[in-house]
Amino acid sequence: MPTCTRWNWQAVVIATGIFGSGTGVVGQTVEFTDTTLENGLRVIIAEDHVAPVISIAVNYDVGSRNERRGLTGFAHLFEHMMFEGSENVGDGEHFLLIANNGGDVNGTTDKDRTLYFERLPSNQLDLGLFLEADRMASLDITQENLDNQRQAVQEERRLRIDNQPYGHTFETVDELAYSNFAYSHSTIGSMPDLTAATVVDIASFFQTYYAPNNAVLALVGDIDAEVALEKVRQYFEPIPRQADPPAVDLTELPQTEERRASYDDPLARLARIDVAYHIPESLTADHDALSVLATILSSGRSSRLYQAIVRDTQLGVNVGAFAVSNRGPSLFRLVGIAAPGADIGALETAIYNQIERIKVEPVEDWELAKARNGARRSFVASLGSSLQRAIILSRYALFYDNPSLINSRAERVGAVSAEDLRRVASTYLIETNRSVIITVPKPASAPMDQVLGQENF
Amino acid sequence: MCVRRPYVVLGCIVSAVVSLIGVHIQAEKRQTQSIVGAEVKGLAPVSDEILQVNLPRAEEADLHNGLHLMVLEDRRVPVVSFQMILIGAGGYYDPPDHAGLASFTASLLREGTETLSSVEIAEALETLASRLTISTDMSLQATSMTGSSLTEHLEQTMALAADVLLRPSFPEEELALFKDRERAGLMQQRTRPGFLAVERLAGAIYGNHPAGRTSPTPVTLNKTTRDDLLTFHQTHYIPDHAVFAMAGDISMVDARTLVEKYLGAWARTETPQPTVQDPEPIGPSKVYLINRAASVQTNLLVGTQAIKRTSQDYDILTVMNQILGGGATGRLFMNLREDKGYTYGAYSSFTALRYRGDWEASTEVRTEVTGDALAELLRELQRIRDEAVPEQEFQDAKRSIIASFALSLESPSTLLGNSVVRHLYDLTDDYWERYPERIISVTREQVQEVAMKYLDADRLHIVAVGDGERISDVLTSFGPVDVYDDQGTLVTTAGNGQ
Repeated sequence: MPTCTRWNWQAVVIATGIFGSGTGVVGQTVEFTDTTLENGLRVIIAEDHVAPVISIAVNYDVGSRNERRGLTGFAHLFEHMMFEGSENVGDGEHFLLIANNGGDVNGTTDKDRTLYFERLPSNQLDLGLFLEADRMASLDITQENLDNQRQAVQEERRLRIDNQPYGHTFETVDELAYSNFAYSHSTIGSMPDLTAATVVDIASFFQTYYAPNNAVLALVGDIDAEVALEKVRQYFEPIPRQADPPAVDLTELPQTEERRASYDDPLARLARIDVAYHIPESLTADHDALSVLATILSSGRSSRLYQAIVRDTQLGVNVGAFAVSNRGPSLFRLVGIAAPGADIGALETAIYNQIERIKVEPVEDWELAKARNGARRSFVASLGSSLQRAIILSRYALFYDNPSLINSRAERVGAVSAEDLRRVASTYLIETNRSVIITVPKPASAPMDQVLGQENF
Repeated sequence: MCVRRPYVVLGCIVSAVVSLIGVHIQAEKRQTQSIVGAEVKGLAPVSDEILQVNLPRAEEADLHNGLHLMVLEDRRVPVVSFQMILIGAGGYYDPPDHAGLASFTASLLREGTETLSSVEIAEALETLASRLTISTDMSLQATSMTGSSLTEHLEQTMALAADVLLRPSFPEEELALFKDRERAGLMQQRTRPGFLAVERLAGAIYGNHPAGRTSPTPVTLNKTTRDDLLTFHQTHYIPDHAVFAMAGDISMVDARTLVEKYLGAWARTETPQPTVQDPEPIGPSKVYLINRAASVQTNLLVGTQAIKRTSQDYDILTVMNQILGGGATGRLFMNLREDKGYTYGAYSSFTALRYRGDWEASTEVRTEVTGDALAELLRELQRIRDEAVPEQEFQDAKRSIIASFALSLESPSTLLGNSVVRHLYDLTDDYWERYPERIISVTREQVQEVAMKYLDADRLHIVAVGDGERISDVLTSFGPVDVYDDQGTLVTTAGNGQ
């Protein structure tokens, strides 16, 4: 018998089946079991028999915030290495096995965590668990694999950042806004750091972070929870626990005056402004209010930024706001693309005017209803996706030690009031707390009328 | 090095091969094998059983005004999604001198009705967290209005959707604002190398056929009047050939009641079924360079004409495409990324509509390997033409296609989409039920034949978007090169001066 520390069994099953009768009422909570194995692996299981599908999410407590100078991009490069083979799985065989058996698979890294997931037909539970356990236990690290995935990652960097308009803007915002290196550097890493990574670094990273006590596994779908838990034990219990990894200090130095920077972009054609304010970590009351504020400011065409700036004054072709959801200190961000010929300074002022409005007049009821319904809609959508639930459950367990938050998120958003919005806007969205980046288009190619007169190649 | 912590060696668990009623692919004895870019150890526990799934079908009804209603009832979550498919209102039917008219009409539907302003429509929909978008593409016969709603807000959402669909007012002020936004959008899209590549390849593959255009121009945008929009709407937004598909928390009975209530007055016009034509046969192979200064990658896009949806080669091409470029296990990905490290990804796909469509392969590679990567890509096309696919790889591809049906059961809208396709292309009633057995029956010889037929080297067109100064020389080794700028203008044509 395992000496697990936690066993929360709640009632079974959330859906009534594809052709339910009557009113079609569906249980509106996600019910799950939550067990921690002796080696520290936390296992969350939710049954859902609507479709013969299972989703597995393994969330490791390591992200780019764990990287140090000279080794940026490492967590993400490592994520790529996790698909390159382990003791019982060949190089590339993970992709082959999932695809050949009708599933899909991917991984993703951000500042706070590295997430791996797959969906499979429900008769392939053993396959999914085997693959995840084998690479948690025994990654096959070779110079050849490292060199190959390093190249793939460098091309990914070029694809997403170096070859796109506003690619460097994306990195510059974090570099300017965050004082702490953990969050300020780019998750995909710099080219020189990627080039410098060695197999020794990779092996050390694996030892430190890829341990059962540093991960959460969530399994949602067409399975019997008890049978599934036994299988999880079978595959994962043999993996020994490791020492807890070193904690990361995420403290941000207080910002006392506005920071500004400008960047010339040869690939852009329209000017862009990015504004970032320091805000608390996600799942705090203030962060919830700021999420609602972002919805009111920028969600859809009824939003304030769209109506005032894109439609009425036409200063911007695109303006948005969002609350970054870090485990640590976060940012409230606004992004605006200036209309052709518009003055970027006027766009900046227009954005601040919308923020000031929130501070002095209460928002309207329909705007709060919009945020409430949106949160409810998101939750409901997740009920239709085993993968979404697996990811959310593992995230809430890993970040907040509380997977039940999946069921209360919509309610939290619903509790935000107009006064809360006024308060958080006045507290956080102030000049001394902001960083501003202006991206200026500086096209390398000549305008069209000059190209036609050019020499041939 | 294999880094691991000491642990009890797990036994190799292999499920017995189970003979099933239904779909079963006889698995070849597994052996360690090398595929370019991968190593198969064959130790993972795999169930050889492919789940036999019963794909739910939509219920269907023809309404008095010609509208074809399709409903897939699925009660798992209190959400309903819907799609109105307006055959004949798509960008395919733009007047020859007015590229984008269909798309402008679609975009402006939400910008005002006889009783509601643009912002009132937006507020009403977004307060409910409902979605409603109307869009089309210049290659498509149809404009689609797609929407979704929580069940409790469905009636209000339907009412708004019907209002927007049937009674748009196209206010002058909104048209002017739209033009400003769209002008900026036309400029912005030219900063994206992916757009530039698709623009050129579509032109190369389709020529003067409607699918040869990818975008309106500032000229066609500027000349658009309110009358143009009203006329296009009046002519093409008719129920006669339209399909309304709903999936989710609703029964056919209730759906019908809702549709009759809000769309019942939409009058039939007796307009004949809209037709399409095939493009002219594609011209001989050519290379196109789109010069994009400051690029650090080259976008490579290679393609040619292929098939219609109703082609007898459809299933075979599906299998061929899966092998060649259908994901992270495709040959293009395994070669260009996993083996050579040229790229983050390389894939292929094909479109098959009522007219002869296309097949394309694409990747983005660092500038200095442009020539090598293109050579490898073309080598993979040659390989699948010249050599029969090895048995294990072949069976794996077919298995992959069929086994993924189980996953589609999670998505009512995917399931509904199956029924819609069956209806739109007049496929047999048991088309989807028999799909697995048709895929299984595809042979290696057929795949090779189809590869030779469609991936004909003399008919492949090659587009490269990148730093012209650094890649123009290496591209000439692949054929005569036409050079374009990022505005879509031909700068030099092969062998000739400007």
